[in-house]
Amino acid sequence: MKRISLPSLSFALVMLYLFLPVAATILYSLATEWNSTVLPEGLTGKWFAELYADPRFLQAFGRSFLLSFLTTVVAVVIIVPAVFSIIVYAPRMERLVQILVMLTYAVPGVIMAVGLIRTYSGNGIPMVIITAGAYLVGLLPYLYQGTRNSLLAMQARSLMEAAELLGASHWQAFVRIIVPNIMSGIFVSSLLSFSILFGEFVLINILVGGRYETLQMYLYAKLSSSGHVASAITVTYFVLMAIITGLVVKFSRRSFTRKEVP
Amino acid sequence: MKRFVSMLWVTTIPFFAMIALFLLVPLLSMIGGSFQAEGGGGFTFSHYREIFSNPYYLQAFENSVLISFLSALIGIVVAVFAAYAITRFPHSLQQRILVITNLTSNFAGIPLAFAFIVLLGNSGLFVLLAKQLGIDFGQSFTLYSWSGLTLVYIYFQLPLAIMLLYPLYHAIQKQWMEAAELLGASPWKFWLRIGFPVLLPGIVGTFSILFANAMGAYASAYALTGSNYNLVPIRIGALVSGDIFARPELGSALAVLLGLTLTAALLVNEWLTRKIRRDLS
Amino acid sequence: MSYVQIEHLSKSFHGQHVLQQLDLAIEKGELVTLLGPSGCGKSTLLRILSGLTASDTGMIYIDGKNVTDVSPKNRQIGMVFQSYALFPNLTVSQNIAFGLEMNKISKTEIQLRVQEMIELVGLVGKEQAYPRELSGGQQQRVALARSLVTRPKVLLLDEPLSALDAQIRKNLQKQLRMIQRELNMTTVLVTHDQEEAMAVSDRIYIMNGGRIVQHGSPQEIYTQPRSEFVARFIGNYNVLTAEQLKRITPNLSLPAVERFAIRPETFREQPLAGEDICLTGNIAQVTMLGNITRYELNIGDIPVLVDTLHLSFEQEQIGTTKTLYVSPKDVIPLYDTIA
Repeated sequence: MKRISLPSLSFALVMLYLFLPVAATILYSLATEWNSTVLPEGLTGKWFAELYADPRFLQAFGRSFLLSFLTTVVAVVIIVPAVFSIIVYAPRMERLVQILVMLTYAVPGVIMAVGLIRTYSGNGIPMVIITAGAYLVGLLPYLYQGTRNSLLAMQARSLMEAAELLGASHWQAFVRIIVPNIMSGIFVSSLLSFSILFGEFVLINILVGGRYETLQMYLYAKLSSSGHVASAITVTYFVLMAIITGLVVKFSRRSFTRKEVP
Repeated sequence: MKRFVSMLWVTTIPFFAMIALFLLVPLLSMIGGSFQAEGGGGFTFSHYREIFSNPYYLQAFENSVLISFLSALIGIVVAVFAAYAITRFPHSLQQRILVITNLTSNFAGIPLAFAFIVLLGNSGLFVLLAKQLGIDFGQSFTLYSWSGLTLVYIYFQLPLAIMLLYPLYHAIQKQWMEAAELLGASPWKFWLRIGFPVLLPGIVGTFSILFANAMGAYASAYALTGSNYNLVPIRIGALVSGDIFARPELGSALAVLLGLTLTAALLVNEWLTRKIRRDLS
Repeated sequence: MSYVQIEHLSKSFHGQHVLQQLDLAIEKGELVTLLGPSGCGKSTLLRILSGLTASDTGMIYIDGKNVTDVSPKNRQIGMVFQSYALFPNLTVSQNIAFGLEMNKISKTEIQLRVQEMIELVGLVGKEQAYPRELSGGQQQRVALARSLVTRPKVLLLDEPLSALDAQIRKNLQKQLRMIQRELNMTTVLVTHDQEEAMAVSDRIYIMNGGRIVQHGSPQEIYTQPRSEFVARFIGNYNVLTAEQLKRITPNLSLPAVERFAIRPETFREQPLAGEDICLTGNIAQVTMLGNITRYELNIGDIPVLVDTLHLSFEQEQIGTTKTLYVSPKDVIPLYDTIA
């Protein structure tokens, strides 16, 4: 008889552990009554119907989407060109960027929140804007790594030199040569960034609180009032993450195969 | 003569402005605040003195370190084996498993806490199941206890640990195993003498990232019991956002100490890595 | 029975025949080379010999014992991998000692034998270095020492020199051969470099498409290729059909085979004996290869490569006619038509 190996056993347990809460939440969001029996008494879609008819949910979803989307766009516009010109024109400055990336690891959201409140609260700037600013910095590690990998893969430095020898200006070369080539890589990093921001709770909760209710905060509010609706929110959130993950896989594979076939 | 590249300035000035406005200035202001007397007074060490003399805050640090260390340890031990198991699947399946693992890493914070409530909360699936089987662990275990919170922490550590450890196994060349086999080593001996020592710096590095990840985690614990868990991030959150009890200067001092702990963890990691692998330096 | 004997060995991967009914015999103390283009199955044969890959059918005997189903670690085989496969976390002496430790040899003897090996391969002073601190050639010698220190019955070398610069490769070839002779080590070398095979081997097995197409001493292989494949793979042989040869030398009596091979360096500018074949052609291309000048000659519509020693200071011009002589015994009939 074949013995079950330690690695296979751990793998099976990990998968079970990761899968169970997801499955339970999905089941709960579809259950009619589930208070005293092991399995739900019946299945229904009414929690989802109730949720999607709630304007508060739609607003919260819209706010989350808007905040995550706009912040991601701004972050890409600020960080990608900067990382590009540092790598190509000032490689020595890259060490500084790496230190900043390390710093963001040592400063989690809850610490950032303290500093941001001290610096910006009470002087008229809406705290949502400040939160978005903190998000920009929070995305630095992901966008730096993504941009760096794309640039190295396409050998950006020699391409820029070639374009400039052919008479293009820095900006022309950047827009015409670099941007189209790193597009899919940046798109993948942007999707990841978006999903990270969409799940963010610490900063927005401490800095803004109920004044700008995002999906995560709406979920938090619903935890105590209705478990079924809360699970419908969680499932909705999870489905959105699954779609984004699917897009990431699709696009990163595309840029991958293009590299393989020169 | 060095060429003046206008592009460098145009692109990096907004970048460094962003870093200054939303990272450096707030950090400095926080550090400054931690030395400031409450209500805008002069320079003082009193907040630090208070933290180090108040058992409540010391307890918060102890709890945070304990749960972070424990969840990181359990996470990494399980993930070392699980990641190895993944490398033995066919290549396309490996990619699929990683995608799913990565997807569950989005299951953190509030949604994760909620999913555990569904499973293990007061009328959670497993609690009901246990009741039907006549087991009452209502006394020995609840989700809202430390052991319950540890389970939640382990959950968000696992995908991260696997994603970080999996690539490390690619550094183990198949031919090393074959060479060791020809030289008479059993697989067990190979992993003991070659495989594990080669992986060790990466494992230590991953451990310190997991530890830092848990030390800074706020949302899961907050979602389960609001401010009831005595953890450093929860205390900080309560000190700066509480409307009545807000003491931002004391919160700043706590945040500075938390930041120092995390920095220390990352530095120890770097130092250990160098110490373990003399052949790398 | 030979020291190493392989009988009727076959292997397929995913329905593709990699080795087909192979027979091979190696005597004790011999250095035998498996030579062939990439994908000919030579590395698979080596791995089957080591036990790392199982064969589908066939038998393997080493030192009179049937080892076909013996596990790799009990076969007493040493192997040097193409990538060397040195353990990165162990020093040079720890790498070399590894196999001895696994076989539970006493500490004092390990020390003695490791030191002996380090001296033999010329790595004195590098004992405490880690693999990544060594040059490619030094790493290669550690790999060699590691596989020899356990005193295996057979040493297998899988393209051991292919990752090195030409100069280092030449030196290591010599050193490898010297050590092999000194230890009287039965050795199988896999390579795709025919010069390397010629330089170090006692005997060469030439493989193509999972079969052995010819074997013999380097001298035999080089001067008596039996097929067009061997003739082209071993040197820059001119391969001519019987019909082409008839057109060039109508009077020569030839054995009844389809193709003939002529080595480029057997052409001479002066006739040596009366029966020499005389050829006249137009120079289409001249290439200077250092000590050799290579002409591409068109004899009628038949292209022929000619290598002459680079003696004169002036090259002959493209388009001029050149007359050359070749002895009939250098016109080699290729008996095997397959492969």
